[in-house]
Amino acid sequence: MINIGILILLLAALALAVVALRQGSGVFALGVERAIEQGAHLVPRMICALIAAGFIGKLMPSDLIARHLGSEAGLSAILVATAAGLILPAGPVIAFSIAAVFARAGASVPALITFITSWALFSAHRIFMYEIPLLGFSFTRLRLASVAIAPILAGLIALALGMFVTFAQPAAG
Amino acid sequence: MTTVITLMTTSTEADGEQPGAERRSALFDPGWWRSLLGIGFGRSFWGFLAFAVVAGTACWLVLGEAAFVDALVTDVGLILRMMPRVGLALALAGLLWVTLPRDRVTALIGHESGLRGLLIATGAGIITPGGPSSAFALLAVLGGAGADRGAMVAYIVSWAILGIQRILVWDVPFMGADFSFVRFLVCLPLPFVTGLIARRLPFDLQLVGSHRRHGR
Repeated sequence: MINIGILILLLAALALAVVALRQGSGVFALGVERAIEQGAHLVPRMICALIAAGFIGKLMPSDLIARHLGSEAGLSAILVATAAGLILPAGPVIAFSIAAVFARAGASVPALITFITSWALFSAHRIFMYEIPLLGFSFTRLRLASVAIAPILAGLIALALGMFVTFAQPAAG
Repeated sequence: MTTVITLMTTSTEADGEQPGAERRSALFDPGWWRSLLGIGFGRSFWGFLAFAVVAGTACWLVLGEAAFVDALVTDVGLILRMMPRVGLALALAGLLWVTLPRDRVTALIGHESGLRGLLIATGAGIITPGGPSSAFALLAVLGGAGADRGAMVAYIVSWAILGIQRILVWDVPFMGADFSFVRFLVCLPLPFVTGLIARRLPFDLQLVGSHRRHGR
């Protein structure tokens, strides 16, 4: 359970805590408050979503997903995954739950990368709740035009990489 | 990480907070702790809970009790393994938020910043902690302070697909460390590419709360 990832995270958090404490105990307390607030928001929702994802994973018609997003589907899997990410108007809890379900059902690594990239760049709730109010419509237009090819590009890079290395099927860590 | 920390130790009043000022921390305020209940169990939480209940009921009805219990046991194990990592990532995010010198970052990605500005913006996106509220707020601050349009796009794309906190909180628990690493490598060029595209697109950019900017 204690692996390198957790260790790095722990050391970085300790280093930052020292930096914050040197700037004053108020700064440190502010950081702790922020962490607790975010945790209070995140953790209950995350638990529900993970449990729901487990049930949906059982119910999902895995052969159908494997057919459209599996490694045999090749290029068309990239397009299907782009579309799937594009139409998903939800936060990370649901997006990653669905990605995990896809993975368990046999979706290929390039398709999963495309799906997550597409969702991360186009998720509608983020655009309407944050991007347009804080930056304005003209920025959203510029950004969407700039990132339009990004999910497909990610999928193609992953496909190309897959010719040289074999990806392990992802599993929850 | 070392360079980041060196930058941070020299920061002061980056976000209008008075570091070390005699502010009474909310941590000692029972009202604040109570308000966390509202944050944690707000409307969308009940939506998620209802979603889980519906999915669980469907699983039980379609596949039977054994499949239902099996899914539940697997999920509880997964949640228990994830929680330490989530807690650490949140602590890291909170501390980074209060120590990061945002004014200095803006100075590095201004209009004449060129390819170096795109690289710095990509790096800044990777280490920006927190959800969309903090990333977009920071982006608005950077834009208002004169960040270049390519750097702005590179920054937010980098945060969205490469953000290290998001990878630790979402990718690793849901998809595993191997997949997360491959995804990070594959997506690494994207902020740079999209930033270059943004610089070439002939759209007018008029940011909220700032004066009109024409062309590039």
